[in-house]
Amino acid sequence: MSAFTDLLNGFATVLSPQNLLYAAIGVTIGTLIGVLPGIGPALTIALLLPVALKLDDPTGTLIMFAGIYYGAMYGGSTTSILLNTPGESASVATSIEGYQMARRGRARAALATAAIGSFVAGTISTILLTFAAGPMASLAVTFRASDYFALAVLAMVTVTAMVGTSMVRGLMSLTFGLFLGLIGIDSLTGQARFTFGMPELLDGVDIVVVIVGLFAIGETLYIASRLRELPAKVAPLEPPAHGGFAWMSRQDWSRSWRPWLRGTAIGFPFGALPSGGAEIPTFLSYTYEKRRSKHSKEFGEGAIEGVAGPEAANNASFSGVLVPLLTLGIPTSATAAVLLAAFGYFDLSPGPQLFEKSPTLVWALIASLFVGNLMLLALNLPMIRIWVKVLQVPRPVLYTGILVFATLGVYAVSGNIIDVIIAFALGVIAMFMRHFNFPLAPVILGVILGPMMETQFRRALLLSDNDLSIFVKRPLTLTLLVLAVLAFALPHVPKLFRRKRLAFGEED
Amino acid sequence: MTAPTPGAAKAAPGPLIAGVVLLGAGVYLLVHALSAGDLTLGGPGLAPVIVTGLWVAVAACYVVTAFLERIAEAEDKPRWLTPFLLLGGLIAYSLILKFTVVGYVLATVVFFVGSARLLSVRPWREVIVRDVSVAIGLSLAIYFVFTRLLGIALPAGVLPL
Repeated sequence: MSAFTDLLNGFATVLSPQNLLYAAIGVTIGTLIGVLPGIGPALTIALLLPVALKLDDPTGTLIMFAGIYYGAMYGGSTTSILLNTPGESASVATSIEGYQMARRGRARAALATAAIGSFVAGTISTILLTFAAGPMASLAVTFRASDYFALAVLAMVTVTAMVGTSMVRGLMSLTFGLFLGLIGIDSLTGQARFTFGMPELLDGVDIVVVIVGLFAIGETLYIASRLRELPAKVAPLEPPAHGGFAWMSRQDWSRSWRPWLRGTAIGFPFGALPSGGAEIPTFLSYTYEKRRSKHSKEFGEGAIEGVAGPEAANNASFSGVLVPLLTLGIPTSATAAVLLAAFGYFDLSPGPQLFEKSPTLVWALIASLFVGNLMLLALNLPMIRIWVKVLQVPRPVLYTGILVFATLGVYAVSGNIIDVIIAFALGVIAMFMRHFNFPLAPVILGVILGPMMETQFRRALLLSDNDLSIFVKRPLTLTLLVLAVLAFALPHVPKLFRRKRLAFGEED
Repeated sequence: MTAPTPGAAKAAPGPLIAGVVLLGAGVYLLVHALSAGDLTLGGPGLAPVIVTGLWVAVAACYVVTAFLERIAEAEDKPRWLTPFLLLGGLIAYSLILKFTVVGYVLATVVFFVGSARLLSVRPWREVIVRDVSVAIGLSLAIYFVFTRLLGIALPAGVLPL
């Protein structure tokens, strides 16, 4: 029952006016940037980091950042339903049926099932997080350096294998991130690595600079390279129908609640696993609902199950992501990596010690998820007209605004010109990466996880007197490493067989 | 290769060039990492060699797949002039912020209007009023929020702010 008392204490912290304000700001900004294309939660958190440091309130800031993360999921569903151009990869599944519903004059029902489904999934999965976090943290206390090394390998490999379309390109992105993470002074010996004689590089490349370069400048340059007059075809919002509750008819409700629960059941474990966040569970949920729905004929023409399931999975995966992030300090998505960096800025290190050293902060953060979800429900449906207006922001103004904030962010974090130039250079690289279909998320994970992995590797060797067998002697380490190898190989096994068969067919 | 004709997207050399550039950069970095010497198991020199070695290996795989499969480039041809003009604008903007006395608000207004123009395909006359007013509003708002509320200094410059 101690998790329950901890949670109550967390609520006591959150329900102060100041922290409520942080949560409200977080979810509002989150929804806003979720609705807007071209700017996601990772970039937003990175840009706000320097400002947040000035406020010097770790609890409030992290509550706000978490709000941005899942607020962006709510906002992203609005865009994918009304505009059919999902802002984040996790919203792609929603847009398939959601946009069809909107085109057929059922936008309100689609938005409602997305928002209410997110709320249901968010609440259930936060309860799961509440009760999983404690045991997980006490298990994590027994982890040694070699386990952490294996865990970091596993997280990197799976995310790289799952994100994007090609393993080679995913690995290339990851390697690039690992390289960026190496730049600077080696933390154990003080030796400079890849600094090329520039003293500004000794401190390494700041994560804010990397994210601003890749996501803000890279994205804008990419858009600039393929300018088309895209007439933003926002699906019209029909006048609210009579009958039903919260924009959904009795039938909508009865067709939605099971997909919500199933989506939650898929989303939470997939978020907790290092599988790259919400992309896979949302598609799994979509496929599942499509296959087992009684209305499977309606799929492709706006079936409400196809919106309810993926949106629930999307939101549930966020609480799942928090499990390894808070208890082990292992990020499993780009946004989680930025959150981890944010903890670092406040000299907090997520992991089992976090629950012992800063229980107030952790439990306030978890309690804030309940509060934030409720706020988002209130924010999204009644204020939908405002978000539709936001959708219509002219693209040139939007992307220029992103550039202005990006420059400001890099300046605020360091004020030195080398950082700005690195951000621009990374922007050019990111533009080409986008052009050649290299995924960006593995870069961020490489930057964050690489140094962590190296430190744990060397620490493990130090403990074992340079005996490499430490990585196969401990059962846990070995299991994790084997899992990493499997995760690397498994996605390719079916493809190999298929290709072979195809090749034989062609020979005939 | 001659100029690509419409419909010949498959033969586009883009990925191959990218792969060769990647491979070259990887080899350079690997040599750099190896020259650092100390390759002991627990030492600081090992990780750079592993990472850059991996880089070279993956880049080589990419070159091979790009060559064999001729990874089809995106359908619509990108235009490279706009992004590099935009990049030039960004560099100029940050240099002006850093090294001149123009100041944050004025530099931002000029950059904003120029960048919005580059990114827009609508005629100048239709959007100039909107762009200029957003530019002035946004830069003033940022300036005052940062300097007055957050206490983060931004150059005031020539304007009497």
